[in-house]
Amino acid sequence: MNPEQLLQEVQEIFRDNFDDETIVLTRQTNAEDIEDWDSLEQINLLTAIEKKYGLKFNLADVRGLQDVGDLLDLVVRLTA
Amino acid sequence: MGNVYFITGASSDVGCLLIDRLLTAGSKEDIVVAQGYGDLSHLAPLCAKFKGQIRTYDVDLADPAAVNLFLTNVQQTLPTPTHIVHLPALRVVNTKFKNFDEARFALDMQVQAGAATAICKQFLPKMAKAKNGRVLFMLTSYVLGVPPKNTAAYVMAKEALHGLAKSLAADYAASGVTVNCVAPSMMETKFLTDTPDLIVQAAAEANPMGRNATPADVVPAMAFLLSEEARFITGITLPITGGSAV
Repeated sequence: MNPEQLLQEVQEIFRDNFDDETIVLTRQTNAEDIEDWDSLEQINLLTAIEKKYGLKFNLADVRGLQDVGDLLDLVVRLTA
Repeated sequence: MGNVYFITGASSDVGCLLIDRLLTAGSKEDIVVAQGYGDLSHLAPLCAKFKGQIRTYDVDLADPAAVNLFLTNVQQTLPTPTHIVHLPALRVVNTKFKNFDEARFALDMQVQAGAATAICKQFLPKMAKAKNGRVLFMLTSYVLGVPPKNTAAYVMAKEALHGLAKSLAADYAASGVTVNCVAPSMMETKFLTDTPDLIVQAAAEANPMGRNATPADVVPAMAFLLSEEARFITGITLPITGGSAV
């Protein structure tokens, strides 16, 4: 999957989830950068990503995610 | 005469386990009126086990006319229920409030509060005349403290049912009819089909006991609230949560 396209698609998921069209993601974006990004919102984001890419995460997969880059790498790994 | 258990949502995992427990512990004269909708096959093993004791009804509780027909038929063909248990709800869909689905919410309100109101209106005055009766509603631990995000429709419908239980407890206490609720935390049943696995796993991890509830955790408490020994308990909502909500 094209990394830039994936970032744009995940950015759309973030914008929809947080109802904020101004969100711009980079690989370094993390929960400190988006005010409402708490543990429950993280699960909502992950379930939206599951739906978009036909994936199934489990808690062990997602526990160590530090930033958007980790999340993108996980999606790439699971869709490879 | 035995007990007459009127159970809606009887084909659910909790309903089936509750019926098994009640009829196993009860007498051969006990009868269960078991309502389900499109899934009565789940009751087949119990019908075989307790021959002639379970009367099944396939009724869409979202349809008030169907509910009225159902109640009229039960009233005309069976003794007045001694126990009412109302379990059904539409499956929880975690939805941001901006996407709130009014039509689905209306259906859920009808299945939960609307049907419960019709059932209680039909039978509670008769239970009061008999000076005995037990009513039990299935709530959720989401009505205890702060609910999780994105569950507005589910929480509102459960709170309507909660309000009905409290009101009826006050109205009927003097007549020996008790009205109570159980409020389990996330329970791993087929009801969770539309709930993402990550949410189920996260709830288990966050629970002080390290797991989600099961029907086997909840049904004994329900059986107690339906028992003769619980005669002085009314208007309560019993948390069954492993400590996740108290």
